[in-house]
Amino acid sequence: MKSEELRYRKNFLLIIVFMVLISVSLIIALFLGYNFTRKYVENEFSSKKIEVLEQTIAPYNSFFQNAVPEVSFYQGYLDSASASKYADSVLQQYRFVDRIIFYDVYISNRPIEDGLTADNFKLGIKNVFRYGRNISKDSIVIYDNSRDDNLSLNASEELNKVGLKFVNYIEQADTTQALSEEIIFKTFYNVTPNRITYMNVPRREEIKVYKDLMLKKLPPSPRYQQDIFTFELNPYQLVIKNIHPEIYQFINIRKQSFDPVLEKPNLLTTDISLSGPFADYKLYFASEKDFLIKEVGRRFMPIAFGVFFIYCILALITFLIYRNLNINQKLFKLQYDFINNFTHEFKTPVSVIKIAGNNIKSAKELSEREKNHYGKILDEEADRLNDLMNRLLSFTQIENRAIKLKNEDINLEIFAQNIIDSFQIKYADYEIDLLIKGVETFKSDPLLLGSLFDNLIENAYKYAKPGSKFLKITIYKFRKNIVFSFEDKGIGIERKEIKNIFKKFYRIQSQYNQQGSVGLGLAFCKELVNFMDGDITVTSKPGVGSHFKITLPYDK
Amino acid sequence: MVMMRSFLKILPRLFLFIFLVSCSTEEKPAKVSVETFFKNPQQSNFQISPDGKYISFLKPYQGKLNLFVQSLTSKASFRISSFTDQSVRNYFWASNTHLLYFKDNGARENFQLFSSIYDGSNTIEVSLKPGTKVNFLDYLKHDSNDILLAINERNPENFDVYSLDLKTGKRVMIEKNPGSIVEWIADNDGEIRMAIGSDGVTETLYYREKGSKAFKAVKSSNFINTVKPIGLSSKANHIFALSDINRDKKAVVELNCLTGEETKVWYENKERDVLEVSYSRKGKSLNFVVFEDPKRKVHFFDEQLKNAFLDIKKKLNDDEIRLIHKDQKEQHLIIRSFTDKDPGSYYFYNLKNKNLMKLADVNPDIKPSMMCEMKHIKFKNRDGLELEGFLTLPKGRGVKKLPVVIYPHSGPNQRNSWAYSPEVQFFANRGYAVLQVNFRGSTGYGKAFIKQAFKNWSKNIQHDITDGVKWLIQEDIADPSRIAIFGYSFGGFSALNQVVYNPKMYVCAASYSGYINLFTYIKGFPAYYKPYQQMIDLIIGNPEKDVEYLRYSSPIFQTNRIKTPLIIWQGGKDPKVNLSETNQFVKEIRKNNVEVNYIVNENEGHYLSDEKSKINFYAQLDSFFDKYLNRSNR
Repeated sequence: MKSEELRYRKNFLLIIVFMVLISVSLIIALFLGYNFTRKYVENEFSSKKIEVLEQTIAPYNSFFQNAVPEVSFYQGYLDSASASKYADSVLQQYRFVDRIIFYDVYISNRPIEDGLTADNFKLGIKNVFRYGRNISKDSIVIYDNSRDDNLSLNASEELNKVGLKFVNYIEQADTTQALSEEIIFKTFYNVTPNRITYMNVPRREEIKVYKDLMLKKLPPSPRYQQDIFTFELNPYQLVIKNIHPEIYQFINIRKQSFDPVLEKPNLLTTDISLSGPFADYKLYFASEKDFLIKEVGRRFMPIAFGVFFIYCILALITFLIYRNLNINQKLFKLQYDFINNFTHEFKTPVSVIKIAGNNIKSAKELSEREKNHYGKILDEEADRLNDLMNRLLSFTQIENRAIKLKNEDINLEIFAQNIIDSFQIKYADYEIDLLIKGVETFKSDPLLLGSLFDNLIENAYKYAKPGSKFLKITIYKFRKNIVFSFEDKGIGIERKEIKNIFKKFYRIQSQYNQQGSVGLGLAFCKELVNFMDGDITVTSKPGVGSHFKITLPYDK
Repeated sequence: MVMMRSFLKILPRLFLFIFLVSCSTEEKPAKVSVETFFKNPQQSNFQISPDGKYISFLKPYQGKLNLFVQSLTSKASFRISSFTDQSVRNYFWASNTHLLYFKDNGARENFQLFSSIYDGSNTIEVSLKPGTKVNFLDYLKHDSNDILLAINERNPENFDVYSLDLKTGKRVMIEKNPGSIVEWIADNDGEIRMAIGSDGVTETLYYREKGSKAFKAVKSSNFINTVKPIGLSSKANHIFALSDINRDKKAVVELNCLTGEETKVWYENKERDVLEVSYSRKGKSLNFVVFEDPKRKVHFFDEQLKNAFLDIKKKLNDDEIRLIHKDQKEQHLIIRSFTDKDPGSYYFYNLKNKNLMKLADVNPDIKPSMMCEMKHIKFKNRDGLELEGFLTLPKGRGVKKLPVVIYPHSGPNQRNSWAYSPEVQFFANRGYAVLQVNFRGSTGYGKAFIKQAFKNWSKNIQHDITDGVKWLIQEDIADPSRIAIFGYSFGGFSALNQVVYNPKMYVCAASYSGYINLFTYIKGFPAYYKPYQQMIDLIIGNPEKDVEYLRYSSPIFQTNRIKTPLIIWQGGKDPKVNLSETNQFVKEIRKNNVEVNYIVNENEGHYLSDEKSKINFYAQLDSFFDKYLNRSNR
């Protein structure tokens, strides 16, 4: 059981379960995401209307808080000319002000013809003017005290309302206290549907005087000026700022009584009441259902893309993990084979050394010949072991890219001839031709390049029948590369073997490689060439010979 | 947060740096507290009794000013009044034994008039209709019990002359105002001999011969010209008057009241207005006249007083002196001394034995050695006119690249004089240079100079202040990035106007009861000032015809242009600056995200009379200026 647990496993099932799980999650996430977005948009439809209301009503607030109280700054001194300037600026700035009626009034205790009387307190009217867009010049003055006019009922109604409020206030005014904002609003403003009437707030000193005028019998007083303005407002002129066109298709100002259900049943609607003089009206918002669904879609898209993107990344990672597992599995197998193979390779020299050792130990006396014989055997076998270990070591180094490449100028002729010479000393029957065309020097690591030469020259000798141990080395430039060509007349390679010869630990089983070859040579060459950013190819015909070609970049 | 932490880290090093810097220059005076500068004086309004035997003054008693009398012949002293609700505003020696005094709430409300004997006995309240106001006119004769008062009981717009019996409190109307008289003047016998009438455009000086009933117009002047009667001269039917008719600067002349002719010019200065005239009732003559060029200069007619002044000045190390009061025989004087660094003291001087006795210090806690020198300066404005002013540099801070407070005077028909000013010394003590400009419209330079400010409150006057600041920058005295402006009343109006039309010039501004709306200012003239209405039209502007100019001038219409941090003080009962308007003003500025430190004292009028509120305001001003003027400009 235990050995089974330690075995390498492919985990296919796990990966499939994982893939199914994330796929289900994807579907749930998309489903929930869509539903939440839909809810969110529906909520916004009913909540964002406050923002629209605020934006729409902002000019009115500025009008109410700045333009209206500005009348007081003139302290009652406004007359037809200055009032008209003031009215023009208001009309220009605030489209929703339709008309402005200006009552130039005075307060005294003298008898008056037209106006408001409370005890001795008299609110007399000097003039009444009307300002507005498209009002002809001759209809600006609607009442003039010096003419024998009568103030129309409609115009006097507002005046009377404000006048009465004011009289009530004066009667019980506490002149020792500063006017509070609350009293100012209660007394000097009259806000009715579509209309604001405002009287300039007199100073504390005037209020005292007015109170005395009302409650005491005083000699005829001067005429104290007061200004009263009526602003006629048109809610339909309020500029609706649809700051959420993605949610609201239509926004209108409607009467409070307006019932949207009768209009279009496929419409989603909501409303919010206006306040102050516009209390009879509401902001009415509507959007078609399809419009909102489109909006939901628009908002859901990025979410869906995001979820899908994450899903893809997860899938990709799964795939990569699967692939790595697979490669590791194969690699493991390969190395396992290698250890088997390699141990075997080590075994031969080790057992030869052991035998030689035993023989030396058991011999009573060693003759000169025997001594030389065993010495040679031990020396050769130690060299073999050393060579084996060197190869294994440098191979692992190259594979792991652990060595650093030197970059020296190599004189190719001297370099190649040195190597050829050393081989010809070793193998007296080895015939090697060298041909260098069009290049003299090459920048590279001499050690690595030497290794390539060693391996290929060695192989060409090894895999050749005695008598045909011949190699032709050609070095030449081809485009931006340098080519090292090794052409031998050896036994050649079978067609089906060619794709395997560069694999590690691969050896063609033949009589020629009995003596201590590990099958690392060509794999090592391939690694080296790869390491030097080059390429190695082979063409071969069994019985005729093989042609190895190494291409390395010349100008790096 | 991070900035804050790193700031805290460098803070000790910063202090060390400041310490080193301050050690390297000449010694800086220690900070003098706000209380020291702005606490109310202990004793004020010194007067001397007509017979020269008593000295009277106002002094706080249970937090309110009350009237006290000190005998000069014995050690006896008396508290005449014991009011704990309102302060005594003013008083008057009605005879050798009687004092007349009134109290109100500072906003000219709840006016009450009293009479007492010098030892505080026999106090009676003179019954008046509520809302009535009284001006002291004159005594009839010092040994009599009758005095003259101008009272507006009959009609708030007209003051009539009454004779009041101090013993019984009974009063009789002796002169009824025909409706146009704004001032009455009596002779030594208490007979009304002169009156000034005004119909709004012209002021007329009326005169009547002794014993006659009918007044006769002597000379008319409009408000541009001045004919101010001083007193009767020893020549029959001649009077002394301060006049600038047919000349630009006010001079002291003698007028023949029957012909209206100017018979003699007693003193005239071609450069300066006469600012003060001391008249001797005893000799029906002139004591001396005072003008400023730029310091106080006195021209004497009376040898005895000239010698007395020389003697006093010698005894006071040549400090400036001012005659505060004198007795009937002109043998005993009350003098006040002062310099630019010293608020000074009150002295009693006896002409016979040349004895100078100190009565009280105005502010004993101010050490003149720690105060800063006030220098007279001159510069040319954009129209090429040479203007004068005063520059006070802080001690121990060098003379270059200083933080500056511009301090325009109120009025505008006022002037900056070479004298001690608590505000100026307060700012200088905090390390700021202080610039005071006598802009066009300031008094003392003649009629033409004043006329240039008519309907130019927001133009010529402001140009002059701006040009003063530019001059300071050009002279390298001011650090252009650390200039503040502070003013009271009209000065506050100037401060606000400056930041409206020169927003880049000032880092911050302070307005103490500054006018923010000229319409309200115009409306603020009480009903009995109605005669002055046409004058207002010319000087300030007509509220119906000059709407555009008044809108331009009134900061309340210009809130969108204000980008400078402000500190604003407002009295809840200010008749000239309306509380609800200032509320609106502040609201609109704050809406534009501009910092406003807004201080309202509900029970105050135009002027901060409550000591605590006053100190609180200046303490806030102190930290406000500290925030903007002491921050490094590098």
